[in-house]
Amino acid sequence: MTATDQSQGGDAGGDAGGPGGGPGDGLEEIPPEPAGFLRRHVFSTDHKVIGRQFLFLGLSFLAVGGVMAMLIRWQLARPGVPVPVVGGLLFGRAGGLISPAAYTALFTMHGTIMIFFAVTPILIGGFGNFCLPLLIGARDMAFPRLNLASFWTMAAATAVLTASFFVPLGPPQAGWTAYATLSTAIGAPGVGQTLWVVAIYLNGASSVMGAVNYITTVIRLRAPGMTYLRMPLTVWGFFLTSILNALFVPVLAAAMVLLFFDRVFGTQFFVAGTTVGAGGDPILYQHLFWLFGHPEVYILIIPAWGIVSDLLSFFARKPAFGYRVTVAALVGVVILSTVVYGHHMFTTGMSPLLGESFMVLTMIISVPTSLLFLNWLGTLWRGASRMTTPMLFCLGLVFTFGVGGLTGLYLADVVADMYLHDTYFVVGHFHLIMAAALLLASFAAIYFWFPKMFGRMMSEALGKWHFWPTFVSLNVVFMGQLLIGYAGMQRRLYDPSVYEFLRPLLPLNRFISRAAYVLGASQLIFVVNFFWSLFRGQKAPKNPWAVGTLEWTVASPPPHHNFDRIPVVVRGPHELGHPAARALGKDWLGQDEGPVRPSADNATDGSTDGSPPDGSTEGAA
Amino acid sequence: MHIVLPHDASLDGHLVDGVIGYLTLTTGLAFLAVLVFLLIAIVFHRERAGRTRAHHTHGNRPRDRALTFAVALVMFVAIDVTLVARTAGELSGRFWRYPDGDPNALRVEVTARQWSWTFRTAGPDGRFGTGDDVVTLGELDVPVGRPIYLKLRSRDVVHSLYLPSFRTKIDAIPGSTTRLWFQAQEAGRFEIGCAQHCGVSHYKMRGLLIARPEGEYHDWLARAETDSRLRGDAALPVAGEADGWDWETGR
Ligand code: HEM
Ligand SMILES: [Cu+2]
Ligand SMILES: [Cu+2]
Repeated sequence: MTATDQSQGGDAGGDAGGPGGGPGDGLEEIPPEPAGFLRRHVFSTDHKVIGRQFLFLGLSFLAVGGVMAMLIRWQLARPGVPVPVVGGLLFGRAGGLISPAAYTALFTMHGTIMIFFAVTPILIGGFGNFCLPLLIGARDMAFPRLNLASFWTMAAATAVLTASFFVPLGPPQAGWTAYATLSTAIGAPGVGQTLWVVAIYLNGASSVMGAVNYITTVIRLRAPGMTYLRMPLTVWGFFLTSILNALFVPVLAAAMVLLFFDRVFGTQFFVAGTTVGAGGDPILYQHLFWLFGHPEVYILIIPAWGIVSDLLSFFARKPAFGYRVTVAALVGVVILSTVVYGHHMFTTGMSPLLGESFMVLTMIISVPTSLLFLNWLGTLWRGASRMTTPMLFCLGLVFTFGVGGLTGLYLADVVADMYLHDTYFVVGHFHLIMAAALLLASFAAIYFWFPKMFGRMMSEALGKWHFWPTFVSLNVVFMGQLLIGYAGMQRRLYDPSVYEFLRPLLPLNRFISRAAYVLGASQLIFVVNFFWSLFRGQKAPKNPWAVGTLEWTVASPPPHHNFDRIPVVVRGPHELGHPAARALGKDWLGQDEGPVRPSADNATDGSTDGSPPDGSTEGAA
Repeated sequence: MHIVLPHDASLDGHLVDGVIGYLTLTTGLAFLAVLVFLLIAIVFHRERAGRTRAHHTHGNRPRDRALTFAVALVMFVAIDVTLVARTAGELSGRFWRYPDGDPNALRVEVTARQWSWTFRTAGPDGRFGTGDDVVTLGELDVPVGRPIYLKLRSRDVVHSLYLPSFRTKIDAIPGSTTRLWFQAQEAGRFEIGCAQHCGVSHYKMRGLLIARPEGEYHDWLARAETDSRLRGDAALPVAGEADGWDWETGR
């Protein structure tokens, strides 16, 4: 590209025109920064502020959900022993003991909080908001006020969920899946469950607002030259996740509306059974829930995959291996994820043909998933990896995702699932593939983008001290759960010793619990690092990791309008270890960096910029 | 710590164990390969003195792609396709071939409620809903060596009848009837669990399966029938008595 090309691209002329693309938008139309504390820090429409708000909200709930996990583990390790230290405070009326009802509420709220109020806000709300405009070269989201509404709807949802702790009959107790009829008036007469329904509905509304915004932003606001196949994989992750969110969260919303009617207005969509003599269908709820619920797993994990795909490349100092195959694999997973949900219902007595179809479809998903995984390995191969903290967390994810993904095959097989369904094997599987992956990806993202978000570096030393105990204990906990499930222990059991065949498992349960306490305690290192760095960390340079994506071309933290001048993108996001960069005394090329030695540049760039390689890819060379 | 599968007392449980074993073997090997690859990459392909620059490749050459696809395909065939083929055969040949016309099968109507199981067998006249039905609470008595054919309903919420020593489970759902069949190969006492969260006392919803040799089973049946009449258990409410449990239609 020549200099004239660049100035043209800076115009609205490019394919990435749109709301931000008025004439001469490369230089003008910088939105004024609002004045006043409230507008700037509380009800801001700036995606960076909203991203940080989501991040703080999510991290707070991660702590709450984590404490709940510790309490669950305490009960499983020491059934019937009062909880030390906090027991009197939390369960005073029961003498510090966790009662069966409290236990039921704990695992229900742990699951609900972790999925909807911790991981969703951290990754999608927090990093989705912060990263998307910066990574595609935009000044803000397409709909800044919708963004504001999305955050405050989420905040309202958290308020409603929190309120459910303080109502008569206590918090919801029907599990995070809230299966009917347990979640209807038959099994959950209290107001708590109704508040749960409302909270999930509001949470979903927030997600859909975000999704519409993200999709529009990616389609309309990409900087000139930022073709789809030059987008960082992080952006692909958020983009695809948003599509799933926009399509499938409404299904959950429908289920919530019907459940709300059943609970409040006495309809009987999901109510059946001779106790009440109603003619609804509880299985209908399961179809609606999992039609959303399975895509939800991918909604959560795909941003993590995108982030890890980018970060592995950045720190291996090597382009992402098979970028296009990775993108195709992500798209394939997204499509397939919509047609496999029946694997959650193998034991509901579904017709044999249906069961086998869902089994086959589920198995097919392992093809794109293994392509994705193999490409991660390909990225690492012959790299010059820098073992920074974000890299360690990414490598940790590659490991846990391997185990988690492979254990999914057990559950996809109808015969094995007859035995393993609803045991701790399932709990171990989804914690490895979801909880572990999301925790590790969230931490990787925090360590990586913290400098850009807050303008200061986090301590690498403390980061490594955080990583190792976290990684080891996390694997002990979740693989321990797999083993316990293999031995047959059902999930959601208040006291497994009721069953004779489970009594020998107590020592293993204790061991898992100890590892869980270590896992919980290690997070204190993170908390210290986070707050210490926030106020005392070393000032961050523009581009501390020496990578080429657009967010690193602006100050840390970026100005209100992100880019003084909308960048013009000339290459893909992963030009690391680039031979042409050697002349510049570095090993990477920025996405908007003018061409260096054009021929050499083209040689490797052709493969990601959408134009056919000009026959001089290194394979031919 | 000795982590093992529960004792297998069933005719077909070994098929389940076989699938699990096959998966553990194949996925274990696959994971081992990944691990070795990762370790090499992490140990040798890291930045250090003498290795400051990565090999620059986008992995987009045909041979890169061919390699990735080949590995994925081998995995898919070795694990997924093999498994599906094997499972489909086992489902249609064993687990989903219900003993509908089998006069030898023992038929049992299972009613789940918060938080107990009720089992009803037809008694000497072979018909359900008559005075000689044998109804037991929390205890399922079966003969060894005969197919046991269960139909399940729930009165309130979703439960799941879980037989760890028979490697199977099936949900009991309000408003519909589900079914399950298995066969005990040895006498003994085995635990029945509830696998689906069904409220605060879910963890207490335990039952017992007692398998007896045919002769002993008949003695038990005679005793139990009298007991059942004495206790008036036959009058225990059963979910959806009125409309029958569809034994004839096979569904
Ligand atoms: C911090 C470490 C964690 C530990 C020690 C832990 C432990 C547990 C335990 C013991 C259960 C109860 C399982 C049962 O009885 O069925 C559970 C359930 C669950 N956890 Fe975690 N967990 C952790 C983190 C997470 C995270 C990060 C997520 C979210 C991505 C998560 C999602 C869930 C879900 C969805 C359930 C199911 C709740 C239900 O049964 O309704 N967990 N966890
Ligand atoms: Cu699923
Ligand atoms: Cu139950």
